[in-house]
Amino acid sequence: MTFLKVIRWMVWKDLISEVRSRETISSMFFFALIVILVFSFSFSMDQQAARELIAGIIWVAFVFTGIIGLGRSFSVELQNDCLEFLQMSPASKGAMYLGKVMANLIFMLTVEIILFPMFVIFFNLDVIEEIHILLLIFFLATFGLSAVGTLFSALTVQIRAREVMLPILLLPLVVPVMIAAVEATKGALNGDPLAGYWQWLELLAIFNVVFTVVSFWMFEFVMDS
Amino acid sequence: MIAISGQEISKTYGYYQVLREVNLEVGCGECYALFGPNGAGKTTLLRILATLQRPTTGRFEILGRDGVKERDTVRATLLLLAHGCHLYEDLNAWENVQFALALRGLSLAQRQVKAVLDRVAIGAFADMKVRFFSAGMKKRLALAKAMLAQPKVLLLDEPFSTLDKAGIEILKQFILETLARGGGVLMATHNQEKAAEVAKRAGVLSHGALKPVPLQDLKTHDFS
Repeated sequence: MTFLKVIRWMVWKDLISEVRSRETISSMFFFALIVILVFSFSFSMDQQAARELIAGIIWVAFVFTGIIGLGRSFSVELQNDCLEFLQMSPASKGAMYLGKVMANLIFMLTVEIILFPMFVIFFNLDVIEEIHILLLIFFLATFGLSAVGTLFSALTVQIRAREVMLPILLLPLVVPVMIAAVEATKGALNGDPLAGYWQWLELLAIFNVVFTVVSFWMFEFVMDS
Repeated sequence: MIAISGQEISKTYGYYQVLREVNLEVGCGECYALFGPNGAGKTTLLRILATLQRPTTGRFEILGRDGVKERDTVRATLLLLAHGCHLYEDLNAWENVQFALALRGLSLAQRQVKAVLDRVAIGAFADMKVRFFSAGMKKRLALAKAMLAQPKVLLLDEPFSTLDKAGIEILKQFILETLARGGGVLMATHNQEKAAEVAKRAGVLSHGALKPVPLQDLKTHDFS
């Protein structure tokens, strides 16, 4: 019960802070908006060509936007030495980790849900029939990014060049997530049968389980080192 | 019972040795004042005892529990009141207190929280974001969090700084209440006069070594 309460309080704290400051989501949103605009003006595509390329463009925007949010996840804890407060707290570090993962997931999904209609408009996509499967792909891939990214955000927060180190350390690890997300999104946008890209969804699910469990156990060590 | 017991604690940063085999004992119901010039290692010693850093060599116990091996148990019994105040700028005073208590597994009645916020004269600003607080108000709010948590061992790093006269009186009262409850207090400060009013023993950290200081010297000698 206490474990779940700590998760809830961590999520609550991050959400309330973000609702009041709007610093993380607004910086993520404007970065992604620029990516969409640059790509949409760079390529003039018909719908078929767009379906081939758009999956990669979507995930470039989502992953780099996510890294901006993940970078802020623990850097905000440096203010007033709040990171120390979390380190000294007797509460479960695993619960703190899961709370942070949830909060980051909510931030990233919020930005993705706002941005995706812009992709649809700028790239003239017809996605009504595939929207439910696309949302599932977004959720699975974003969860994977959040699970690994939260750990690495905590790991790099005390490093002087943390803004540089986070993407350098994180991107190689989330390559499987990016590949699986791009392939599954491409399959969904092309209207392929689910069986044609199901293995990519399985890969995302397995990645999420493995890396959430590993990160959960490693988080205490990261916080104490 | 011994609240804080440090045995031959040493801490090295690279080639620089901050603490040299520091031995320290603070009994339950006792306040120990720690002095020393800037960079003497006072904050490092407090951070080690607060389980934020590990000693390079040596060991310490809080209420008989090993500070490294039984870290989680130790953390539930102590509280460090430090420079940073451990406050979230975008939460209001009330929310900061609620969050801090929740992470300690405490859930207190609203009237109890309100009474303590009123006691530190923050009650009227309970709904204000901490971002708009002055340094003194932040310190008072951190003090309120400590009062509500009622730790058995209290570690204070420059507790009197940024507090006004009334704030210092509230802090002194809280220290005396902690001692009356049988708690132990270790306080690093430059304010010898105020420390003399609550401390039972004192020591000065110089070149990483801790030497005892007679209480009567606190008002006459300058340990910085």
